[in-house]
Amino acid sequence: MATFELYRRSTIGMCLTETLDEMVSSGILSPELAIQVLVQFDKSMTEALESQVKSKVSIKGHLHTYRFCDNVWTFILQDALFKGDECQETVGRVKIVACDSKLLTQ
Amino acid sequence: MATSSTSNVYVHVIEDVVSKVRDEFINNGGPGDSVLNELQGLWELKMMQAGAILGPIDRSAMHKAAPGVPITPNPVHDLNVPYEGTEEYETPTADLLFPPTPLQTPMQTPLPGTARTPLPGTAQTPLPGTADNSSFYNIPTGGTPITPNEYSSALDNGGVPEMKGGAGRPSPYMQPPSPWLNQRPPLDVNIAYVEGREDGERGASHQPTTQDFFTLPSGKRKREDFPPQYHTGGYIPQQDGAGDVLSDDLEVIQGSNTRYDSVNSNQQMFVLGGKLSSMIPQFDGPIPDPYDDVLSTPNIYNYQGVANEDYNIVNTPAPNEIQAATPAPLPLNDTGDDDEDEPLNEDDDDELDDVDQGEDLNTTHLILAQFDKVTRTKSRWKCTLKDGIMHINNKDILFNKATGEFDF
Repeated sequence: MATFELYRRSTIGMCLTETLDEMVSSGILSPELAIQVLVQFDKSMTEALESQVKSKVSIKGHLHTYRFCDNVWTFILQDALFKGDECQETVGRVKIVACDSKLLTQ
Repeated sequence: MATSSTSNVYVHVIEDVVSKVRDEFINNGGPGDSVLNELQGLWELKMMQAGAILGPIDRSAMHKAAPGVPITPNPVHDLNVPYEGTEEYETPTADLLFPPTPLQTPMQTPLPGTARTPLPGTAQTPLPGTADNSSFYNIPTGGTPITPNEYSSALDNGGVPEMKGGAGRPSPYMQPPSPWLNQRPPLDVNIAYVEGREDGERGASHQPTTQDFFTLPSGKRKREDFPPQYHTGGYIPQQDGAGDVLSDDLEVIQGSNTRYDSVNSNQQMFVLGGKLSSMIPQFDGPIPDPYDDVLSTPNIYNYQGVANEDYNIVNTPAPNEIQAATPAPLPLNDTGDDDEDEPLNEDDDDELDDVDQGEDLNTTHLILAQFDKVTRTKSRWKCTLKDGIMHINNKDILFNKATGEFDF
């Protein structure tokens, strides 16, 4: 089953990747096993986001760049405003990377 | 910094992943449970240091216990107080000392039991003494690349703010990486050896003092001819520049006559060529360049070089500048005057570049999600996203659904 490797770029994904890199470099973990862990992370993360997260966010901003390539949308927003359930954030520049949700269910 | 809900989700994900790969670790000759625990510990540690999960982790109920004194939400660690690690593997004071650098995966190669030496001059307080060092093989001082945290107090370590990867081993980065580098003379590499060099000497700085450095093993220099020339009275010939060539080559030739003849000949040839080029009168006029506005003005200037084909030239031709025309075999650009005569405008785009790259990695805001629909009407874009992780303003926010409205 294919997974989105998208979430490996998140904080939690990067922490895992680095941990695995350290362990593989020092030889206590085999690369194949590290890849298996990462794949499992993809699945677990996707599932957790579906089931455990219930919040809704609205995003507004000026679209500086858009790109659609390989079924992945990449937006770069400027002066974006994020409104969540209880929080609100503004950022000067943010990148949004979004994969096609339909690909997972195929 | 994470809220409690996102922290819980992360902890849940970690637990889920670990439990699902446990079989792989234990069965079929895998590395074993201890390695898996180590992996989990390291992972959680990094997450805590990144501020993505709040410690301590309450595993019994899988929900966050009373906050107590969460360590990680406060990214600035005061090194003057004893480290209050509450869990076995929390000995990461070296991480507090060395600000983490994001995306440094390849560099962290801790070998078990090696280089626990902290940086010289750093605040040493809790690090080496902790008995926990032995429990985990070496991890905790591994750098945490991700963190967005400031770690401003970490700058106490003698002003070494940066640790590229592997904070657990500061020593390789503080000691000279190799004796080879120490021996390398601090020579301006633009002053290449004379032979074979054509136009690398622009603005070469005369460094008569460099003669001292050539007593070093010649193996460091690829061209053995180089050092001896400098022994000729410590004079480094300059081949660029108009007027200097004439006076220089005489001395050089004489001085190095006693040395390598082959080098001499090359040098002489070059110098001669240099001489010649400075004295060759240009008989052809400016090349009529259809796209060059320079020639539209009357040619009242005395061009010594081929007419200017440089597109960067603004309409006014530089009067005394010998243009670097490509056909000329030995262009005589005097680089010292470039700023005055011909604005290269090389800084024009710097501001634009900074807009994109000026933010350091600590403040790179990123949203990773899946999209359901992306539409556009004229310049108005709308999208619906789902299952996303937002990392903005140093915070992690998760969402199940998101709607975006952007104006292009």
